[in-house]
Amino acid sequence: MFKRSDENLIAKALQGDQHAWQQLVSRHQSSLYYFGLRLLGSKEDANDLLQDVLMVLCRNLGQYRGDSSFKSWLFGIANYRAMDMLRRRKYSDGDEALAEVADETPALAEQLVNQQQQRQVQLQLRSLPPEQRLVLELKFYQQFTFDEIASQLAVSSNTVKSRFYAALDKMRLQLEVDHVEQSANF
Amino acid sequence: MSNNQQIFEDWLAGKISTGECAELLQHDATWLARMHNASALRADAARPEFDAVPQVDTSSIFANQWQRSKPQRSWWPQISLALSCAAMLISLSPAQLQLKDGSLTLSWHNSQQEIDSAVNKALVSYQQEQQQWLAQQLDFQQQNTSSQLILLKDYLQDELQRDQRSDMLQLVEYLNQQRQADWQYWQENYQPMQAGYRPTDSYYLSPTNTGAVKP
Repeated sequence: MFKRSDENLIAKALQGDQHAWQQLVSRHQSSLYYFGLRLLGSKEDANDLLQDVLMVLCRNLGQYRGDSSFKSWLFGIANYRAMDMLRRRKYSDGDEALAEVADETPALAEQLVNQQQQRQVQLQLRSLPPEQRLVLELKFYQQFTFDEIASQLAVSSNTVKSRFYAALDKMRLQLEVDHVEQSANF
Repeated sequence: MSNNQQIFEDWLAGKISTGECAELLQHDATWLARMHNASALRADAARPEFDAVPQVDTSSIFANQWQRSKPQRSWWPQISLALSCAAMLISLSPAQLQLKDGSLTLSWHNSQQEIDSAVNKALVSYQQEQQQWLAQQLDFQQQNTSSQLILLKDYLQDELQRDQRSDMLQLVEYLNQQRQADWQYWQENYQPMQAGYRPTDSYYLSPTNTGAVKP
């Protein structure tokens, strides 16, 4: 069967089609939830973010003009709400949240071949400032272009690249530090 | 934009492979490390997620925001209008609805006979109109002809009178000429002979001499 486009579903939903709205939500809610989980670090916060974004989306669905892709427009909302939550809740980048995520799924985690590497990447991501972490999230996990990220964050493309390379450099430093620490332990 | 940045961004965009990028950036530790970090992030992003996504019930929000109760639409005005139109159509059209022997029959009762009678009626009417018009034309023509005949008669009478008058004048003139000729002839031939024995009181004496009036 042909998959209906987001624009088509939005048009139907704006006419009151509940089924189209549910389809639209189910198409994007998992990526929104994992986005929140990686960025905010806890399931509660990710759930709050998901609910918050979906409510805002529902209220402002009629404002989507189709200038960019729907996903890009949706993540523009999600970015703003996530950064707002990070600022308001004074989110701490401790390891507790990550430990919570990993510990609650031990059976699945054991199935991952590179669990240690994944954990290391997640830890390094959490050590970054929120703006830089957001750019890496949008670039690698949501696969947006630099121009799309710039449009979502309302900054220039050069600013996005600057944050992106700074984040990569910090991760490199962090890797080196981890490497030194691991060597020292041995 | 440096050459290494271009190489790195080409790799990010998938234009060159990881091996090619690593080979091109092998002399620049900074860019090579960025590439390794980006590779690690890319691999992490490619891993499947196993956390269950919570279900968020947005149906009530959506219903409040976008679903409007449909206005209660009454069908009575439409039904009333449709029945009125049907009644008008039945009354104006030649259709006949007959219930006969338990069967409902819809028929159009303008049969061939009625059509013929209507055509005949129209033809008779047309014929009468034509006859009336012809009679009017004939009457007008007769009036026109009679008036022209009267004019012709008057003209002929005038011409006849004019000719008669002219003939009489010519006759009188002719007679006068004859008399004048006779007179001259008499004077020339008989007057000298009669001059010798004419009585004095003769009528035929010279009028200038006697003063007698000619008869």
